[in-house]
Amino acid sequence: MKLLFIFLTTLFADANIQYAEGNYAQAATQYEQILANLPSTDVADLPSDYAVVYYNLGNAYFKQGELAQAILAYERALRLQPSLQDAKHNLQFAQSRIIDNIQDTQSFFLSNWLQAIRNALSQRTWIILSISLFILALVGFFLFAFSQIIWLRKTAFYTSLVALIISMAACANAGSLHQRDTLRAEAIITQGIVNAKSSPDRSGTDLFTIHEGTKVEIKEVIGEWCCVHVGNNIGWMPLAHLERI
Amino acid sequence: MALTALAQDVEFKASAPAQVIVGKPFQLTYSVNQRAKDLRAPEFTDFDYIAGPYTSQSSSTSFVNGKRTSSFTLTYTYTLMANQEGTFTIPPATIKVDGEQYTSNGVRITVLPPDQPAPAATSNASAANQPRETTQINEGNIFIRTLVSKGKVHEQEAILLSYKLYFAGVDVAQFTNNTRLPEFKGFLKQELEVGEIQTELEHYNGRNYQTAVLYRTLLFPQRNGNITIDPAEFEAVLRIQNRAQVRSIFDDFFNSYTTATKAITAPGTTIHVDALPTGKPAGFSGGVGQFNISSTISSTDLQANEAVTLSITIQGSGNMKLLKTPAVDWPEGFEVYDPKVSNNFRNTTTGVSGTKTIEYLAIPRAGGSYTIPPILFSYYDTQADSYKTLATPEYTLQIARSATEEANAAVVNHFVQKEDIQQLGSDIRYIDVNALPALKIHKSKFTFGTLAFWLCYLIPALLAALLFIIFRKKIQENADITRVRYKKANKVAQRRLKAAELLLKADNKTAFFEEIERAAWTYLSDRLSIPTAQLNKENIAQILASKGVTDTLIEEVLHVLATAEFARYAPTSDHAMQDIYNDTTKIINQLENCKL
Repeated sequence: MKLLFIFLTTLFADANIQYAEGNYAQAATQYEQILANLPSTDVADLPSDYAVVYYNLGNAYFKQGELAQAILAYERALRLQPSLQDAKHNLQFAQSRIIDNIQDTQSFFLSNWLQAIRNALSQRTWIILSISLFILALVGFFLFAFSQIIWLRKTAFYTSLVALIISMAACANAGSLHQRDTLRAEAIITQGIVNAKSSPDRSGTDLFTIHEGTKVEIKEVIGEWCCVHVGNNIGWMPLAHLERI
Repeated sequence: MALTALAQDVEFKASAPAQVIVGKPFQLTYSVNQRAKDLRAPEFTDFDYIAGPYTSQSSSTSFVNGKRTSSFTLTYTYTLMANQEGTFTIPPATIKVDGEQYTSNGVRITVLPPDQPAPAATSNASAANQPRETTQINEGNIFIRTLVSKGKVHEQEAILLSYKLYFAGVDVAQFTNNTRLPEFKGFLKQELEVGEIQTELEHYNGRNYQTAVLYRTLLFPQRNGNITIDPAEFEAVLRIQNRAQVRSIFDDFFNSYTTATKAITAPGTTIHVDALPTGKPAGFSGGVGQFNISSTISSTDLQANEAVTLSITIQGSGNMKLLKTPAVDWPEGFEVYDPKVSNNFRNTTTGVSGTKTIEYLAIPRAGGSYTIPPILFSYYDTQADSYKTLATPEYTLQIARSATEEANAAVVNHFVQKEDIQQLGSDIRYIDVNALPALKIHKSKFTFGTLAFWLCYLIPALLAALLFIIFRKKIQENADITRVRYKKANKVAQRRLKAAELLLKADNKTAFFEEIERAAWTYLSDRLSIPTAQLNKENIAQILASKGVTDTLIEEVLHVLATAEFARYAPTSDHAMQDIYNDTTKIINQLENCKL
């Protein structure tokens, strides 16, 4: 483990140098190598600080003009560490370059808000928050039940109530994130232009066209084909044309 | 050197046709513009000597504006004949003028093979009773070839296209204006001057022709693929000898030729144009050919508001006209004017060559040290078949604050104009270069839905429930005890009073007062549900007052408590003992009637 860590650290430093010198392709290969050598790339297993490897990889791809790969790497960095401001900024920047403008067709604004709140913290953080608030609610309840002082009882009651509600919401967010990470339904289009078909078959009618870098949601997989949702559009396309985040 | 200096006046030249045909005699002449003697011609090893030298002289004198000019020419003529094909050089000859020896130039002669007999069928046909003039104008005698320097080029690479007239046995007088040149679609055209048409002998397809270039142009392909050049049409005026129609000697003398026009078509051709290879460098100038870039700057040490000139010179050959002006990345704070571009191009058969000079005028508005980065110029090198990028040197300008700027600053110092941060562009943020954090893999998966996750809620909840039950029970028990003690307070007091009564009768003073005091305190404690330890003489009055006990009763309670305590340690009479017993019984009875 120690040896591996030394190897990865030197590789990372070298890749950063390659990036600084403008050898973006070489830098990207080395970042990929680091990720390939990690014992696990599961979001639940890695320390969140490793998001920087994905972040730097995203930059290296972006500099080469590989928009889809860059967006994919930024998304993965944010999965690992949702508070990584630089990754957020660069993801937005990269998304401003893609052809499709899906954001506008996204559903209700409230659900967007909720999703943004959910994505603001990692699953682990949500869980810790939820449990802490749950314990706070219990303590508040005890104070309410057994205190002799009126104002303390009142404060304890309301604090307990609010803490319990937030705890439940946090728990729901953690559950939602867990589902996202296990299903891995979100994917990025890696092919320049893809025509979505009406059926999982090459002969299907072309329904709509999407371009490289667009985020889609995989709803169903049949063989080599998958059914994707993008905004309000639903269509089938080969799995090879996209990559799960 | 001395010879050339003297030779200013003496010209000794050798001349002969550049092309001759095997078996056909030709003349080699040496001419000199002074009286000379002793011509020593070289040995004509490659040619057969036929006759000569014949000498001839000519002289002329002219007065122009009173100035006399005279010329004299002495000519020696040899007649020679070539007997083999090839290119030969006749070495220089020497001659003596006034005792000085002069050397002529050498002559280079290309010897072409003789005409091959036309194929049998054609010769038979022409040998038949066909009038001669018609055979003279057939395709074999006069035609135009379309010549291109290269059939396979890169985009933007110059090719030379020329229309060359070949004729033999006919006489071309002139060309009419009915020339139709193709449009050269897909090319950028740069015509070359042909000048005076001069004929040359050329051996082509087994025949010797007089040739002349009629039209020359440079073509720069603008797209890739096979580009077809349409045929061109020329109309020539031919002079035909009217041998068959001679009627009289006068006709023959005056009118021996008639003219006829003939349309001649130069065939079209196809140029294969390759696209420039991929991997164009950023900032590709569009240049194809060979180029060189240089730059000069007027000054690198100057004051603010003083103009600086940066001139960039691109030199080379290729599609010079299409070069993009290289952009200079001027530092902020420079006022830059539109560049002045001057071109100095020459058209040559290999392309347009020359120089393109771009002059930038810029005025720095603030002091400091500024760097003008190298100006990159990329082009496609047709010789190396690859892209090349040239760069000018980097300039660092030291700009001192101008005197006027400082003077103005002193006056208007208080009105410094604040500027918002200028957004110049946007890009992704730079990579994180911190060292990698320690690699700790989480041993257990603490995610939603795992057992550990649910236990984290369950254990505190169960603990809370357990604690709640325990607390609840304890409170209940406490509540029960106080109620019992409240109810039994009177009984306990009566029991203690009874014991006191016995002690009174036994006359045990200390024990009696102790019992009385304890009876009073226990009763108060039980009735008020306050532990005895928390009660004392100081707070009892206050507590009783808060419970709504009358002041007189409180006075009596305090009196009993004080007396009992005091009497325990002081000698008292039996009467006092009886009094305090009665008082205690009374206050207990009165307190029993109070609602505490």
